[in-house]
Amino acid sequence: MSALTPTRTPAHRPPASPDSPAPVRRVRRGALRSERRGVRISAWAAVVVCGGFALLPVYWLLATSLTPREQVFAYPPRLFPATPTLDAFAALAGNEQLFVYLRNSLLVSVLTAVLSVLVSAYMGYSFSKFRYRGRRSLMYFVLASQMFPQALLLVTLYSLFSAYGLLNTYTALVLSFTTFTLPLCVWMLKGFFDTIPDELIEAARVDGASRLRIIHAIVLPLSAPGLIAAGLFAFVRGWNDFIFALTLAGPEKQTLPPGLVNTFVGEASTAWPELMAASLVVSLPVAIAFIALQKYLVGGLTAGAVKG
Amino acid sequence: MPAYPALDTTTLSRRRLLQLLGLGAGTLTLAACVPEAGPAAPQAASTAAAGARTDFSFASWSLTEETAAPAIRELLGQYADANDVKVREVSYPYNEYISQLTLQVKGGQVTGAVHVDVAWLGSLAALGKLQDLGPLAQGADYTQAGLTAAQFDGVQYGLPWNIGAIGLIANSGLLEQAGIGEAPATIDEFEAALKDLKKLGGGVVPYAASTKAAQLKDVLIWMETFGSPLLDGGKVTIGDDASVEAVTWYKSLYDQGLIAADVDRFDARSLFAQGRAAIYDDAIVGRDAVVSDSPDKKLADKLTAWSRPVLAAGDTPRALVWGGALAVVQGDGAETAADFAKWMTSDVEVAKQYFAARGLPPATESALALPEVADDAFGAQFAERITATATTNPFWVYPQYAQIETVIAEQVQAVLVGSAEPKAAMEKAGAAAQKLVD
Repeated sequence: MSALTPTRTPAHRPPASPDSPAPVRRVRRGALRSERRGVRISAWAAVVVCGGFALLPVYWLLATSLTPREQVFAYPPRLFPATPTLDAFAALAGNEQLFVYLRNSLLVSVLTAVLSVLVSAYMGYSFSKFRYRGRRSLMYFVLASQMFPQALLLVTLYSLFSAYGLLNTYTALVLSFTTFTLPLCVWMLKGFFDTIPDELIEAARVDGASRLRIIHAIVLPLSAPGLIAAGLFAFVRGWNDFIFALTLAGPEKQTLPPGLVNTFVGEASTAWPELMAASLVVSLPVAIAFIALQKYLVGGLTAGAVKG
Repeated sequence: MPAYPALDTTTLSRRRLLQLLGLGAGTLTLAACVPEAGPAAPQAASTAAAGARTDFSFASWSLTEETAAPAIRELLGQYADANDVKVREVSYPYNEYISQLTLQVKGGQVTGAVHVDVAWLGSLAALGKLQDLGPLAQGADYTQAGLTAAQFDGVQYGLPWNIGAIGLIANSGLLEQAGIGEAPATIDEFEAALKDLKKLGGGVVPYAASTKAAQLKDVLIWMETFGSPLLDGGKVTIGDDASVEAVTWYKSLYDQGLIAADVDRFDARSLFAQGRAAIYDDAIVGRDAVVSDSPDKKLADKLTAWSRPVLAAGDTPRALVWGGALAVVQGDGAETAADFAKWMTSDVEVAKQYFAARGLPPATESALALPEVADDAFGAQFAERITATATTNPFWVYPQYAQIETVIAEQVQAVLVGSAEPKAAMEKAGAAAQKLVD
């Protein structure tokens, strides 16, 4: 055994530095290693804390959806349901109205995303690549519109849509959601277009491409990640809205957020397990889409943030 | 300097731009200022089924609630079939209902029959679109208390559907454990009972009184118990000795741990359902919620209604009217909607079906005399001990009553958390409420 074990001799040691004795180097290396370990542990601790902060509500949602109603507020609270049940999920299967809400939400959110991207792409391109009087004022005016509390505009929009006979329509929802998504989408896409070199556009013009062709054949394909990011933002905005959907949509066009509250939150009680189960189920498609496209979202949001 | 060379210059001048912006802002302002008619004298509903029945809308927050919706839909179906009409359902969540209904009624989107909390009648009546249902109410045997609760400014804007009150509900199991036999009659006895309950330990909250600002309006009934009228001929009396004494007492309960921090009605129901609160304030509509959410299968049998204790023996116990009424908004289908409202609120067979589904007290003498209703022991006890002496909140006559309650609640909360003295806070609350009343 001893014959097979390599013997630690001075020959196995790395060459000694002429100006530092070996024990000192060992101490320094050890200190460096423990410092690195400390940094790594701190980083992991931060990740765990932040991850827990973000994921604990999702876990609680799942746990509540599996808990019988009479145990939801049991004291002391339990991290795991004592008697897990799928009753809440089973109750969802028979509720056709939830699928109507889901369909409405998908339709309205997709249309909001498409319209927002369409309009903000041209606006963002104009702000990025053209120079005209009032451009800067207009840019800040668009941004300033984001500063108004949205609830403040509710009555105004309600009156406007009422006057044009648009209440209780998908159009009212899509237009109102787009109103709120446009400023951020425009600025996000402007940042993206800023990163496209003007030389590329000039070269296309030299080759005889029309202005529209330049936008559609060169700029927009190059900006696909930004367009996806803007679209995702608009989609999520439309998906999550409560008060505008409740007020402008009417009973037939209601989307998921008001629909879920209407279904599960009552005058005297709330069906927490069913509400959590429904929230979980309807969040899944969006979560999957988000995970699939998140690299574009991050890229789109940070584009133009750093100019080199 | 721009980062990239300019590619083009349009002819849009700054002046032109400002003109366009001004035009846009003007359009928005005009849209926000759509002229509207002021409140008009209410149109009286017709007493006879004059014309042919027409389709109409029915708005209610209960239309999507799992406990209420099936029973209401069943009744809507019965009426629709019998009269060969269609009923369009409109529903909003309870917490959003009055704001949404106000907007929709004002905008003319909702007409027909609407389910309202009696506290909201003043706000809705101020829109000038509710029918006077006085003529319709004649001939039906509505209770006087019900009719009064569904009136505003002397006009019968609603037909009472389910009328009760908000009062003290106790868990007799916990009371027994604490050795409390009789319900306390006076405030001193009540406080002594709370101290006995606190000795039970185990985290039991003796009285799950409202302490969150959103629900602190509950303290108004205690102010009345201490002798404050709250409102005297248009003058807000909050800040008087009685209201200050009431808030000082409430704060002392808080400091002694006899009531808990951060509790609203939903929290109180949860605590009570879990056996962690012995007493709380609620209407009878909360019974289903606490019983179904409780792990204690016998909680329904342990519910007991307490008259609110009084300041001095012999005083009348105070309780706040609670209830639902059906009102009718002028417009398409209003005539049929009025007939439906009367049928829904006064037909004995309808009352029997609805009571079987929800256990809420009906508002006609004949329905109250039904054996099913009379046999509901807790309901009868609640009616006798609480509803019998219930009065409306004097601020309900103002459409801005919710704001009035909020400014008072904020000051009461300031007292509870120790950032204000009761006298100064109540004087401030009274002054703020008076501004809203004026």
